[in-house]
Amino acid sequence: MEQRLLAQGTGTNNTINVYPDRVEIRTGWDNENANSLGLKQIANVSIRGLVNCTLTIEVNDGRRLNVERMALPDARQVKAAIEAQKQKAGLYE
Amino acid sequence: MRRFLLLVMTALLMIAALPAAAFAQETPVVQGTETLADVALAVDTMWVIVAALLVLFMQAGFAMLEVGFSRMKNVGSVVAKILAMMGIGIVVFWAVGFAFTFGAGNAIIGTQGFFLSGDEATYAGLSWTAVPVSAKFLFQVAFALVSLAIVWGTMLERTKFAVYCIFAVVFAGLIYPIVGHWIWGGGWLSEFGMQDFAGSTVVHLSGAMAALAGTLLLGPRIGKYDDAGNPQTIPGHNMPLAVLGVIILWVGWWGFNPGSTMAAVGQSIGDIALTTNLAAGAGVLGAMIMSYLVKRNIDVGMAGNGAIAALVAITAACAFVAPWAAIVIGFIAGVIMYTVLLLVDKIGVDDPLGAIAAHGMGGIWGTLSTGLFATPELVEATGFGQPGLLYGGGFGQLGVQALGIVACGGFVFVTSYAVFAVLKATIGLRVKPEHELDGLDISEHGVYGYSEQLIATDYQNGSGSSMPIPEGRTTQGTAS
Repeated sequence: MEQRLLAQGTGTNNTINVYPDRVEIRTGWDNENANSLGLKQIANVSIRGLVNCTLTIEVNDGRRLNVERMALPDARQVKAAIEAQKQKAGLYE
Repeated sequence: MRRFLLLVMTALLMIAALPAAAFAQETPVVQGTETLADVALAVDTMWVIVAALLVLFMQAGFAMLEVGFSRMKNVGSVVAKILAMMGIGIVVFWAVGFAFTFGAGNAIIGTQGFFLSGDEATYAGLSWTAVPVSAKFLFQVAFALVSLAIVWGTMLERTKFAVYCIFAVVFAGLIYPIVGHWIWGGGWLSEFGMQDFAGSTVVHLSGAMAALAGTLLLGPRIGKYDDAGNPQTIPGHNMPLAVLGVIILWVGWWGFNPGSTMAAVGQSIGDIALTTNLAAGAGVLGAMIMSYLVKRNIDVGMAGNGAIAALVAITAACAFVAPWAAIVIGFIAGVIMYTVLLLVDKIGVDDPLGAIAAHGMGGIWGTLSTGLFATPELVEATGFGQPGLLYGGGFGQLGVQALGIVACGGFVFVTSYAVFAVLKATIGLRVKPEHELDGLDISEHGVYGYSEQLIATDYQNGSGSSMPIPEGRTTQGTAS
């Protein structure tokens, strides 16, 4: 399942990796626990804050996943990568 | 045989005495105050240079301490960072930092003598010692480098190299000099009579506050906290190296505290060395006892941090307190350090080295302890401030010490937080998670700190990796 990593960032106690077909939010000693989301599941991605940014991923089932205290450049890169992939796959109307 | 040896020894002694005898015939016997003053100045200068050397050597102590407390994959980045910081720090402090700290100016900052262009009168903050300006600079720049080294101990294993470099310029060029000027350079805190003999506040608390600001914005290392938020121990890879670092720092403190007299002749450098070492010993004991009481074992790393906390604490007080008080100060510093370290871990601040506890709390306790334990005789001898509370000096000196802690600690924290915040919002503070997991040696510097061992485990050697072993290389290293 390993694919090219498009963007990644670190928040408090978790990391976020963006692949061409999915997004993984990872936790654990060696980043071994992964919560994987397919691009189709993601409804929206937003960023709050300037210094300690919170990246919020809204999932179709109503969940909101937050990656907190990210650096702004990392958060922007992750958001842009997710949106670009969804655009490319025609998942935005 | 014995007679022969006696003859040889006598001959050798005569040969050794000949040049001195000839020199004595040509040179007049030293007389007059001018020549004696020259000799005294030479001795003082030599002492300051030797002390500067000892303080500069503390960088090796920080390097070993940080390497010991890091994981193998990050040791190369630690030493690269130390070297870079020494380079940046010494040039920036020469260009502007020394002038901001000790140059004549106002109560807030020095404004004269940039690029070390001034004379003795320009650096009014150091006019109390007669050694040459170059010696003064070498001693003081070593202090600035120590403060800078403290900042990075908490930010190990995840910080971008560029962040180190940019912050080093601001810290060595502006933040540290402003605090130094307030207390040592004739600024407003020195006018209040604040006692900080060798820099518990100026050097150590400043470094720790900047470290705290950086660490809060940086966040913990990957894996430091589990999903429930409980802190996990990430052990360093080499305790002997960490302890070697502590011992090098301890030796370096012989220059740090006694050297702060910036003169040898007529100074109590022996007494200051005594209080320094007694405190360090008591700090080890305090931390060890705490470790046993809390965990039922003797934590070597914590014992080392106990020594450092005690050395930090006695730095302000070393010239003002009696030996018994040094032991009390050191012991309490060890206890406080251990307690604060546990607290810092619990509130989500990942400090791999314990620098916030050792240098921050050690600095605060040390600065306050001077207001408690300073003896009237030593205060009179040094000519700074008032005796401590326990010697009938009242709360006046203690209040000044507390004011200094709040002002300096607050200033450094706020300015450092602002600088780190700008860096986080623009270039980011952390390396990518992938690089953090792989180790900074490879991602930031392109080499392993321990090449042979890590290359051997990277390739097929029973570890489960499917990577082939390159031609000419064995699992034990490179084939000859």
